[in-house]
Amino acid sequence: MVQKSLSVRRVDRNIFQKFIGLNWFIVLTNIAIAGAGLVMLYSVAGGSWEPWAAAQSVRLAMGVCLMLMIAVTDIRIWMALAYPAWVVGVAMLLAVEVIGAVGMGGQRWLDIGFMRIQPSELMKIAVVLALARYFHGRDFYQSRRLVSLVFPAVLLIVPMILVVRQPDLGTSLMIVAGGAAVLFLAGLPAWLFVSAGVVVAAAIPIGWQFLHDYQKNRVLTFLNPESDPLGAGYQITQSKIALGSGGMTGKGFLQGTQSQLNFLPEMKTDFIFTVLAEEFGLIGAVILLSLYTIVLLYGLLIGIGTRSQFGRLLASGLSITLFLYVLINVAMVMGLMPVVGVPLPMVSWGGSAMLTWLIAYGLILSVATHRQVTLAPKGSGLA
Amino acid sequence: MTDITSFQFQSVDKNVSKMDVARLRLIWAIALFSLGFMVLIGRTLELGLADPVGAVRKTVATKSGRTVIAPVQMARADIVDRNGEILATNLETSSLAVDATMIKDPKGLARKLAEIIPDVPLATFEKRLSSGKKFVWLKRKLSPAQKWKVNALGEVGLKFEREEERIYPHGRLAAHVLGYVDVDGNGLAGLEHYFDDEMKAGSSQVDIGDRTLRTSLDIRVQFALADELSAAMRAHSAVGGAGLVMDVKSGEVIAMVSLPDYDPNDIRGISKEALFNRATKGVYELGSTFKTFTFAAALDEGVVTLNDGYDATKPLRISRFLIQDDHPKARYLSVPEIFTYSSNIGTAQMALDLGTERQQEFLNNIGLLQPAPIEITEVGAPMYPTNWRKVSTMTISYGHGIAVSPLQLATGISAMVNGGRLIPATLIHQTDGVREGKQVIKPSTSRQIRQLLRMVVKKGTGSKASAIGYRVGGKTGTAEKAAAGGYNEKLLISSFVGAFPMDDPQYVVFALLDEPKGIKETHGFRGGGWTAAPVVKNVILRASPILGIAPKEEDEGLYRQIAMKIHDDKKR
Repeated sequence: MVQKSLSVRRVDRNIFQKFIGLNWFIVLTNIAIAGAGLVMLYSVAGGSWEPWAAAQSVRLAMGVCLMLMIAVTDIRIWMALAYPAWVVGVAMLLAVEVIGAVGMGGQRWLDIGFMRIQPSELMKIAVVLALARYFHGRDFYQSRRLVSLVFPAVLLIVPMILVVRQPDLGTSLMIVAGGAAVLFLAGLPAWLFVSAGVVVAAAIPIGWQFLHDYQKNRVLTFLNPESDPLGAGYQITQSKIALGSGGMTGKGFLQGTQSQLNFLPEMKTDFIFTVLAEEFGLIGAVILLSLYTIVLLYGLLIGIGTRSQFGRLLASGLSITLFLYVLINVAMVMGLMPVVGVPLPMVSWGGSAMLTWLIAYGLILSVATHRQVTLAPKGSGLA
Repeated sequence: MTDITSFQFQSVDKNVSKMDVARLRLIWAIALFSLGFMVLIGRTLELGLADPVGAVRKTVATKSGRTVIAPVQMARADIVDRNGEILATNLETSSLAVDATMIKDPKGLARKLAEIIPDVPLATFEKRLSSGKKFVWLKRKLSPAQKWKVNALGEVGLKFEREEERIYPHGRLAAHVLGYVDVDGNGLAGLEHYFDDEMKAGSSQVDIGDRTLRTSLDIRVQFALADELSAAMRAHSAVGGAGLVMDVKSGEVIAMVSLPDYDPNDIRGISKEALFNRATKGVYELGSTFKTFTFAAALDEGVVTLNDGYDATKPLRISRFLIQDDHPKARYLSVPEIFTYSSNIGTAQMALDLGTERQQEFLNNIGLLQPAPIEITEVGAPMYPTNWRKVSTMTISYGHGIAVSPLQLATGISAMVNGGRLIPATLIHQTDGVREGKQVIKPSTSRQIRQLLRMVVKKGTGSKASAIGYRVGGKTGTAEKAAAGGYNEKLLISSFVGAFPMDDPQYVVFALLDEPKGIKETHGFRGGGWTAAPVVKNVILRASPILGIAPKEEDEGLYRQIAMKIHDDKKR
């Protein structure tokens, strides 16, 4: 047991040492992304901290504290909490189903007194956690056996169905995509993903009739936004106009005509990237996308450099989930995707998406902090 | 935490392949991830560098959450005439939209709105108000009174959007030149269509200085032409008319009229007939006006001189065609007489001497075989026989068997009288007033053509165009209207093309009447000399003071030589 002494020395740093050892450049980059969001919320309010930017900055401060706390917490604790987190998430989704308050056309919120939370957001993380936990205990050959796919399928499909029922198609697709990323990284055979893709493509015509009218409208509008530029296509047409009108350097802070004139729909949430592109132009938009790239690429690199399978799957799975989050929003406002109502995490107004991002990134940082730790195959050791 | 260490150590070998696969797949993931971001950045560049046409029609500055209306900076460019008179401009209006998610009582509100805005059906309001959409137009371009009343309803879901309305202060005058725009301000016809991009906000201003498109039109001359032409159209119960005034030295179109016309301020339910631009898109067999070109070609090539003559004693028979004269003299005619009395027989023989090839080359040179280049898209292509036989050469020499637009004809005649330079027509104001052109005939030939044209008005078929003191020259044209399988001799296209003052031509004036009927005042005649020539005369009388051309005594010596070749039969 020569390795014992080595790993103990690395693992058993105290919390303060871990805190100092965090990658502070990456932490600051995350804060910078949120800072861009605050600037845009200030602009959308017509140049005022009220009502959005001030509240959002309080949330940001709290969220960053939470992220740092998660980052310095031992990875084994997170591994131990993986399944419980999933169970709690599913329970909350069920609770939403039963008693959830009606908001934004679907039952998505859970009022727990001092705040309202969106369980589907937390579920994105919980699914990745649970799947990473499951595949940590299995070697490559076990992973490839079909029997061993039953349990992860349950982990993935139960929350997906609950979220679809809310109805929140965008989030459920993201949960599936994030989970599928973990399965892919866990080494499941590639033909599985190919055939799943084929099945999904075949299911589209059948699934079509189960979509809500507004969902059908969004897809049809996406396919041809100019068909109804003043009705259903209005959002995306205005968004593209705003993106185009910014030019290279933008119209200047508080000078965006589309945004200041309320032409844009859902400016402070789903379409905030458009406001940024209009006011700060191409340069602003590319800088923001670059900041996202930096932090998410860091997450994937952590995945490569992590010793434990759990840590690797967690960091890379979460990075891909967050990446999809950004990708779907930005692609949506650019007219590359149907409007599915996904906010731009960290930048859009609203606590849930920011919280999801910061918790997920806290976990990525925790993996980074504990990347030299090797974990037991069957459990966290904390059980 | 006691048994952490015991669980930590596992066989590294067992996990080697798993780690390799995971890392390999992670690299795949990173590649896909990078690709995704590259797509996003690419799309950002695509949208960001795209020209936001019509994107910024409204501008508002905000301060502390309140919206303050700023002056409209990005309005569609104005169109003005050569003197700066406004022909098309923009008026700010409000349009009414609704956020249907905020409407509590769609039916009640629909009823109230239908009272204020009667031209939208109640059912339409009800449908849109209960649509549940965040943004639906209810009515574009409200009147100020309507806006005030809607505001007074105090309904928070109703929203006003500032818009611009295109206004043509001169109404139907110059409608075919200006064109019109749709409800969103997209040019659909005329200059509005041709220069749509340039006139819209944020676009290049290549042709449009100072956000204003300055046309070559003089709206006062335009009015004179439209007025005279429509009066003649009414008098002769014609179905249509076309008119042009063109500057022969710059190619600028000073006035262009097509009748029937339309009011571009209100384009709802306008007939195709009214939208059709007869001056540029219509192509007509213009008859004897074409003789000008035949004579110019023959004189320029030296095929004939003014001292020659042809036998016009009897109709000319060629295969199954019979060529005869409208004003038969039944004798030998000198070349000036053939032109003055508009003899088809003489002209056809001259064309035979010229030859098919030279005739084609000449007509092609003066742009009669291609669509006229001009800054509107409503341009018609000329029609002529693909198989240009000998008989075609003969009929085309006097303007039958070839159909061209009035604009092409006026451009060609300009070249005949301005010293021989073909200058393409333009609707854009030319600052220097003279443009370069291709030399198509010798200046000396041009001088002879001027004399011939002047003689037509002094002594021949065009005497009704004689505006005293303005030394008008010109040529009549009367053609039977082409109908299925041949010609309908009951229906005529009567035209007259004139130029003045003939000692130093400045302007070409063209008038055409489609299916004029004979009336008492013209003794039942309906040819170009009786119907179109007076229009040209009146336009010249009215426009000359505007254009700065003074009447003066004519130098008869200019025409002495040619006048000697014309014998007036009545005096004999």
